[in-house]
Amino acid sequence: MIRVIQGKLIAGLVLAMSILQGCVNATVDEMTFLEPTEGIGDASVVIIGRRHAPDYETEFDFIECIGDHIRRGDNSISVLHELDFINMMYPWFEPRTAPLRTDDIEKLLSQERVANRFEELKLEYMIWIDGSTVETNSSGSMTCGVGPGGAGCFGFGTWGNAADYEATIWDFTDEIEVGRISANTSGQSYMPAVVVPIPIIAPVQGTACDSLGDQLLKYLSAKM
Amino acid sequence: MVARLLDLITSGPRPTWRSLSVVAILLLLSACGAREVVVQGNFPKPLMDPLPLTLGVIYTDEFAQHEIFDEAAGRAESDWLVKTGDAQVEFWNTLLNGMFQEVVQIKDSQTLEAYKNTVDAVIIPAVADLQYTIPLHTNIKIYEIWMKYRFKMVSLEDVHGNENGDLSIKPDQYFADWTLTAYGKTPTAFLQSDEEAVNLAAVVALRDAGANFATSFSRVPDIAAWMAEGLQPPPAEATDIQRLEND
Repeated sequence: MIRVIQGKLIAGLVLAMSILQGCVNATVDEMTFLEPTEGIGDASVVIIGRRHAPDYETEFDFIECIGDHIRRGDNSISVLHELDFINMMYPWFEPRTAPLRTDDIEKLLSQERVANRFEELKLEYMIWIDGSTVETNSSGSMTCGVGPGGAGCFGFGTWGNAADYEATIWDFTDEIEVGRISANTSGQSYMPAVVVPIPIIAPVQGTACDSLGDQLLKYLSAKM
Repeated sequence: MVARLLDLITSGPRPTWRSLSVVAILLLLSACGAREVVVQGNFPKPLMDPLPLTLGVIYTDEFAQHEIFDEAAGRAESDWLVKTGDAQVEFWNTLLNGMFQEVVQIKDSQTLEAYKNTVDAVIIPAVADLQYTIPLHTNIKIYEIWMKYRFKMVSLEDVHGNENGDLSIKPDQYFADWTLTAYGKTPTAFLQSDEEAVNLAAVVALRDAGANFATSFSRVPDIAAWMAEGLQPPPAEATDIQRLEND
């Protein structure tokens, strides 16, 4: 009997956690041109995070999230895995050496081995993502305890997150910048706890990922 | 004392509570000990046209077994031991082998003799300084490692083998002597221990050192002059003999 009640309680909590989500505000700005109307064919795209700033770095999992979003939206687009690409091109895409302007592409391609590697990869677009997600505020308190009869928490906590990202699209063949898309999202998460803490999370970074992913997909895919 | 404490706590009737108590005590005890990180990572070969040079490399014992020990400043902190030696040798071997046409390791008098007349120059890397920070030190959610290297280059003829097999070099025979800094950082992450984060920061710092070395090597004034002069090092005047640290 107790097991049945426990099972229902856990199932209820899982359901509640999947339904309860904090609200997120999102703003997306887009400025793109020279859109590939026929899609990118069998060429490939790489999405890389900027990591040269001293106080933040674009998260690897955020880059992976955008890549997955594009692959899910159009599986004909070949999106290279960021870490594999950085390792294949070492040391030219480290924070210290990564090209900051499209003018640097020519210099990079002047090296035979680098140029050959790009040709092998059929790289058409390089998308730089710059930004991060930060916690903006937090308040509240929660106390948890463990005793012979069980464990539990009591209290309330809340925190805010803000994500600010900008994607810069480089056309690698023409060595020019062909677009910028920015996504700013913010939201407040809550965690009330009466015996069991119930997190009501605002998917701030996830919304930024979906927003940027959607716009990039529209740009790259012939299906959209 | 600890065994008695464990006995007292674990003599309860429920095995689950016993296990939990043991785990809790072990966790408490582990917090008091030194934290040790043996840096490990996978290092990619550089993608570059190799310089047409046969380079000898000497890894001194101090370099190959490099480690930094940081004593705890207070009771809330732990001692830290960060061992980078093995990773340093692995990384620089990978990098140099990709940067130069051929790289040979000069270990002793025998290898020195074996590579006579085939090596253009010998490089000797050293870690001049290494500093690290963890969020506990700075209250910033970032783990950082900063390294300063000192590189010296010498002609193979100026490396001498002693009777016991050790190598020695006259101090002013180096035709190039320069420093290089590297920085690596990694943010805090869910389910990532301090040790894993420091290791990751060290790997990022090593990669940064490699990127810095690979892109600046030919621009070091003494190296540029040596390469422009057809790889003939300028004549040296010193006579003092300095034994290498791996004697």
